[in-house]
Amino acid sequence: MTLALRQLQVHAGTRRLLGPLDLELAPGRCLGVVGESGSGKSLTALSLLGLLPGGLQASGEVLHDGQAIPLGARIAPAHAALRGRVLGWVPQDPLASLHPLRTVGAQLRETLHVHGRPDREARDLLARVHLTDPEAALKRFPHQFSGGQRQRIAIALALCSGPRYLVADEPTSALDARIAREVLDLLDALRREDGLGLMLISHDLPLVGAYADEVLVLRRGDVVERGATRAVFDAPVQDYTRELIEADAIAFVGGPSGPSFESVATPEELGPEGPPATAIPLLRGESLTMRYPRAPAPALDGVDIALHRGEGLALLGESGSGKSTLGRALLRLLRGAQGRVWLDGIDFTAQRGAALRALRGRIGVVFQDPYASLDPRMRVGDIVSEPLRIHGDGDATSRAAKARALLVAVGLDPAMAERWPHQFSGGQRQRIAIARALARDPDLLVCDEAVSALDAHHRRGILELLSSLKRERGLALLFVTHDLSAAAAVAERIAVLDAGRIVELGDTADVLGAPQHAHTRALVEARKLQRA
Amino acid sequence: MARACLLFLAGLALLCWLGPLFVGFDPHRPDWEALSVAPGTAGHWFGTDAIGRDVFARTLAGGRLSLTIGLLASLVALALGLGFGASAGLAGGWVERGMLRLLDMASALPFLLIVILLLTLFERALWLLLVAIGGYVWIDLARVMRAEAARLRETPFMLAATAMGASFGQRLRWHALPNLMPLAVVYLGLILPQAILVESFLGFLGLSVDEPSASWGTLLSEGVQELDGAPWTLLFPAGFLVATLAAFQFLGDSLRDWLDVRDEARADIEQAAA
Repeated sequence: MTLALRQLQVHAGTRRLLGPLDLELAPGRCLGVVGESGSGKSLTALSLLGLLPGGLQASGEVLHDGQAIPLGARIAPAHAALRGRVLGWVPQDPLASLHPLRTVGAQLRETLHVHGRPDREARDLLARVHLTDPEAALKRFPHQFSGGQRQRIAIALALCSGPRYLVADEPTSALDARIAREVLDLLDALRREDGLGLMLISHDLPLVGAYADEVLVLRRGDVVERGATRAVFDAPVQDYTRELIEADAIAFVGGPSGPSFESVATPEELGPEGPPATAIPLLRGESLTMRYPRAPAPALDGVDIALHRGEGLALLGESGSGKSTLGRALLRLLRGAQGRVWLDGIDFTAQRGAALRALRGRIGVVFQDPYASLDPRMRVGDIVSEPLRIHGDGDATSRAAKARALLVAVGLDPAMAERWPHQFSGGQRQRIAIARALARDPDLLVCDEAVSALDAHHRRGILELLSSLKRERGLALLFVTHDLSAAAAVAERIAVLDAGRIVELGDTADVLGAPQHAHTRALVEARKLQRA
Repeated sequence: MARACLLFLAGLALLCWLGPLFVGFDPHRPDWEALSVAPGTAGHWFGTDAIGRDVFARTLAGGRLSLTIGLLASLVALALGLGFGASAGLAGGWVERGMLRLLDMASALPFLLIVILLLTLFERALWLLLVAIGGYVWIDLARVMRAEAARLRETPFMLAATAMGASFGQRLRWHALPNLMPLAVVYLGLILPQAILVESFLGFLGLSVDEPSASWGTLLSEGVQELDGAPWTLLFPAGFLVATLAAFQFLGDSLRDWLDVRDEARADIEQAAA
């Protein structure tokens, strides 16, 4: 009664992507597969499901109840027969994997029909995944649900055929911490109560550790560590595993009786002495309001905020809280935003044309997605020196020299200036983006979710880089994030946003240690329980 | 298939350009000994027309003009379409909407009427012909480029450039045009046959190059008049034109597939690697 992969290897042409790898799923057990992007964890899942994209060749075999099915260029019929009946799949992004134009009920009934089960079970399945009001949900469309609800629906779809094993590929990476925990609790309940075998794939080792009986750590296609979860966490064999375990424990060491924050930024550590109370703030926003067309509620609802020189301020909130909208409104990147923004005493909102562009040149910005925020057709050196070219600073030689110096400052090799962005990893690309943001020695660096697209390993490196740059250059940092530990690592103050308003604003240690607002408390709690 | 078409087109272009070196007849000089002779007679492989000019030499000479005019007109269309489309897409808002309306108006204009007006008002010249043909085929290209530029406008790297204080011109030159180039080059392969066809059409109506020069279009119109006595004067140039257009069509289909498939496959592999 087990399902296993034996000697799995995946190649793209002659290049080995994964393996050789063995793994086994058993009913009522949870196997965690952990690795960074590119480690082969998704390839493992796709091989097990027999869904590898064309152009990749798998070898090895799938063992199901003693029956061996070879993996090869073509999917064996016996392998395809496992899908659905034996194996269920929970996708990463339920919005992309649910049909947008058909009701949830229709999609469930279709799958039930394929497996010869009666339509009325659709309602029971939605109740099984704890969706509120399953009867009404059947008549609604995927876009009418929240991300967490959609993931529940995707799980219900996976259960339609009564599988014995569920493969969940990053089921919560698109969700906020609090919602993610609820979805994982649901999967865990299915495992305990229905005896499902679970394969949980994630880049987040601490998260997987909270649910898996056994973990397998992949790196660049090789198994670097495997064993019972407890044993791996207590005594990891590889440094790499230890790094993953500690990756987001930088600042957050939560305990039941008042959490302590080991390396919460303190003013002495992070910048020059605090600003005098009377100084003009470096960046100030006044009654910022933004209403997207056809949205029922404003995304920003009269927010006032100020950031002083050398200070780190985190805008913290879940998706939809208005934190990114606020960040963009402060940068004047949002058409239709109301309210006023002052940059160093100059009215930013009143500027037009060349004056506006000149003022923008004084702010460095780092965006979330390091893959999309660098022009793929520019060399790294040109990318880093682009702000200098835009504003006509220096000549070609001095700009190239500055670009190399910046690459060194962010911990890269200056020779990389000749290379193209696609030759770099996500973490390196984000360093390039930071180097670009620093090109004109700005006083203010704005980071919009700058570490949330990165693996744990790179996230830690980037946070350390940001906080040392802040210290050395006296940079003011506006850090938009949904990640408590990241906020704590770089900011002296935290503003918590919910539904377009600032619900709590204070020193980092106070906000995280003794949250005042119910919403902040929920955020902090979600984080703690997840690590339990 | 695509490779065979490319080989064929390359071979044809070479033949048209180098053909006169080894065809022993001048395309413009009559062979008074052989008026309207059938193919194969007296060294005239494709025969001669009513005044004794070698049809093979004239077909190659016509091809040379047709291909050249087609290529140059496509380049005109590419420059127009890329510049206009990229500017519209990158600008967004009411500027984009206004420029799109202009495109709609341009495609509603009676093309033939305008070309006849142009060619009668001004002295007949090559540049005028290029503008006329380029001005007809650029519109679709501009729409495609507009759509792609609008996508680029929303990419984080464009947003980053705006946030750095880059002006419209800087974003256009440094980010939009380099990223549109590969698509534009592929589209060049799609608009070239259109330009060749439009040139033949104008030539057939006598609006292209003047006697004694000949393009495939003017050869066709001469051939039609001699259809009774010397059908080969029509059939050979027509065969060359049809084969060329068909080859471009097949090539264009593969180019289009290649564009689509590449995007899908790339997404697949990135997904798998993630």
